[in-house]
Amino acid sequence: MTLALVLAAALAVACVVAVALPFIREPEPESDELDDLDDAERHRLALLEERDRALAALKELEFEHRTGTVSDEDYRAQLGPLRRDVASALQALSRDQEEGRPDDARN
Amino acid sequence: MARNASPARLVIALSVAGVLAVFLLYTSIAGGGNPSLAPSELAGRTGDVQLAGLVVGPVRGDAHAGGLRFKLKDISGDSRTTVAVLYSGSVPDLFKVGRHIVVDGELQQGRFVAQPGSMITKCPSKYAPKQSGDSA
Amino acid sequence: MPELGRAALLVTLGLSLYALVAGATAAHLGRRRLARSAQNALVASFATTAVAAVVLLAALLRNDFSFTYVARSTSEALPTAYTISAFWGGQEGSLLLWLLVLTGFGAAAVSLNRSWARDLIVWVVPVFAAVSTFFAFLVVVVASPFASQAAPADGAGMTPSLQNPYMLAHPPLLYLGYVGLTVPFAFAIGALLSRKLDERWLIATRRWTLFAWAALGIGQLLGSHWAYVEVGWGGYYAWDPVENAALMPWLAATAFLHSVMIQEKRGMLRVWNVLLVILAFSLSLFGTFLTRSGVVNSIHSFTQSSIGPWFLAFIAVVVAVSLGLVLSRLPQLRSPTKLESAISREAAFLYNNLLLLALCLAILWGVVYPMLSEAVRGEAIVLGRSYYDFFLRAFGLPLLLLMGIGPLVAWRRASLASLATTFRWPTGVAVVTGVLLLLLGAGSSIPGLVAYTFAAFVLATIVMEFARGTRARKALGAASWPSAFGSLISRNRRRYGGYVVHAAIVMLAIGVAGSSAFDSVAEAKLARGDSLRIGDYTLVYRSLDERASANATEIRATLDVRRGDRELGTVEAGKNAYTIEDQVSNEVGIRSDKLTGEDLFVIAEQIDPDGSIYFRVFVKPLVNLIWLAGLVFLVGSLITLWPDRREQRRLVARASEVGIPATR
Repeated sequence: MTLALVLAAALAVACVVAVALPFIREPEPESDELDDLDDAERHRLALLEERDRALAALKELEFEHRTGTVSDEDYRAQLGPLRRDVASALQALSRDQEEGRPDDARN
Repeated sequence: MARNASPARLVIALSVAGVLAVFLLYTSIAGGGNPSLAPSELAGRTGDVQLAGLVVGPVRGDAHAGGLRFKLKDISGDSRTTVAVLYSGSVPDLFKVGRHIVVDGELQQGRFVAQPGSMITKCPSKYAPKQSGDSA
Repeated sequence: MPELGRAALLVTLGLSLYALVAGATAAHLGRRRLARSAQNALVASFATTAVAAVVLLAALLRNDFSFTYVARSTSEALPTAYTISAFWGGQEGSLLLWLLVLTGFGAAAVSLNRSWARDLIVWVVPVFAAVSTFFAFLVVVVASPFASQAAPADGAGMTPSLQNPYMLAHPPLLYLGYVGLTVPFAFAIGALLSRKLDERWLIATRRWTLFAWAALGIGQLLGSHWAYVEVGWGGYYAWDPVENAALMPWLAATAFLHSVMIQEKRGMLRVWNVLLVILAFSLSLFGTFLTRSGVVNSIHSFTQSSIGPWFLAFIAVVVAVSLGLVLSRLPQLRSPTKLESAISREAAFLYNNLLLLALCLAILWGVVYPMLSEAVRGEAIVLGRSYYDFFLRAFGLPLLLLMGIGPLVAWRRASLASLATTFRWPTGVAVVTGVLLLLLGAGSSIPGLVAYTFAAFVLATIVMEFARGTRARKALGAASWPSAFGSLISRNRRRYGGYVVHAAIVMLAIGVAGSSAFDSVAEAKLARGDSLRIGDYTLVYRSLDERASANATEIRATLDVRRGDRELGTVEAGKNAYTIEDQVSNEVGIRSDKLTGEDLFVIAEQIDPDGSIYFRVFVKPLVNLIWLAGLVFLVGSLITLWPDRREQRRLVARASEVGIPATR
């Protein structure tokens, strides 16, 4: 019975320590701000995702054309718009990169 | 830019309508299900019902020759009404006096005649699957 | 040592509550150390729950009957393996298992998450903690596994029907599935709360969802197999509310799994996806509520306990808060991309969603109908299996067909001409199969024939896809056909793993159709030497033997099996009489034909004192395809789950381009 109580107490103490650890490690931190993305970074991320999605769609079209799921006609019809999507995504991204480099401040 | 109604709305609307039509079709053909009753609620009821109750002895007869005869009373509550049941077909292994069972059938001349193989037993205190009846 | 268990669970409750409050505060105010502290609390709650679990397991293994739970579910004579399974055999222990898996998944989800998803975690922690607070509350206050008593000499033993290997695998797998759905749910709610409504939460939880869905699927198949061979009434699914409790979240999760592909590729169906994951999670809670509360007439039930109202209240809160959140974020959820054509892959996935949802809701309606009719009309009206069979066919057969069509329709817009070309061969195969089967007599069941025909169509499309894909990779320069095949799958794991899973579902459909639409049954009372004919089988009852095992007396009848003029060996069927538990169980005899997958299923229903036996015999065509489908399903799921290093690198590269720190 006492063993149980001792173990339980030890467990509780260990948990309190685990929970308090961030505060113990950094009693006075430089910044307690949550490392979150700011608007510029989020915008950049969205553009990156758009680029990747457009590239993936193009790749999938190629693949499906090669396996025969997409006919030559449909392939020709869809290729143009998808390529334009990729181009505009890349353009938007390079514009954003020229305007400012939010990641410079970090490194 | 010409206004093209998105086919999505039409597609969804038609599909939902289709699904609802299927539901309506079913209920118009098959109607509702069967009421689930306790023995004390059975008196005077006609038609197919589901009876849920506690098995009361004595248990006589042979389910595969002439029918098993026993009584059912309410699982909970104070009612002392019992209903005589005649059952034929597969009897689940858990069946015995004191078990909760569920059986489908019809009240005929004061006796509940069960549909063959429709008995389901329920183990009241543990997690215990058991059922007889039609194949899946 | 029950005090240690109780204390550990109390600490778990405290940690969960802290993680909830601190986590929510940290996310709202943007406090880094507090967020980290809440995350630590979530991880620590797994450790404390594990301690409690070990205490219970140890008590079970040393037969410590001072634990009420141990005394109720085990006995000295119970084999060790089943003693272990007693952990989750009752209300309190199974809740502890749920909590263990929940805290385990929570700890893993926040600790193991990839560097590129760390900013999503801050809101996931409080949502997860909310769920674990509820379950911790249940095991601390309402249904504690650590109630103690004066130890009796021996325990009450375990119900014989639970003493089999299935009890070791079926419930834990189901729990992995049910609880696993909490992860995508938490991420979805987190995304809604933080207004980060893009696809990142989907990608972060994709494998979790797949894992939970696969576990739930295999758990259900195991349960069906258990029902088939051990419970032995001749079937494997009875549309029992508790069986449906696992099927409904699985169907919703299936819709979710498919629908997220559309959001990832085209940014569409965002509202659908959050609603589907909320539905899947709510149904998993509802499912466990049904199983535990005794509120429906079911063959599986726990004791009538006070636990029902707590679950209902929690489900109500979850649904209300989730839906409210979705409503408030609705403007941001609307996607810019619109459906372009009613004949496109996007549309096919939309039909898929609708059909799966319709089937899921039809089953839900059937399950709650008795409760609703009792509340409204004072009388519980029960819907029988004909209701479920109707809707399974009405929605399941089109779903089967769609499985073959969907993957082969073009994105955005498909021309009818291209559809005609693509589906020419599979349609041909299907028509030929249908006609052949009709000639072989399959017209006796139209739904069965339709199922077979659709199955042939889908299998043809799958074979076609593998063949064309391998050919394409070979043309691209693969060294050999096998390596082309291998690289095809490894470079397109989701697509081809998905095709393997589809093949498994097709096999399942064929097995179900064969064994339910084309089966036959015969019954007779036989004395020794008598015979019974069914189909082209003849069975002769030869002898009746009795033998003793560890905790039961086994009675077995031996029958000779003959088909035509070929002797096929013997089959044994009978009963086991368990001494301590004073119960009899049915032990069916099954003879499986390796070539055709057909089963001869023998039940010795009633054994009379003079040795004559009332036998019930089934012939179940193709039933073994169902179990084989389980293996194929497992393989397919593993392929889709397998980590993809290329994809990982891409995600990490993207994150570092933006500057999301790799460590925090």
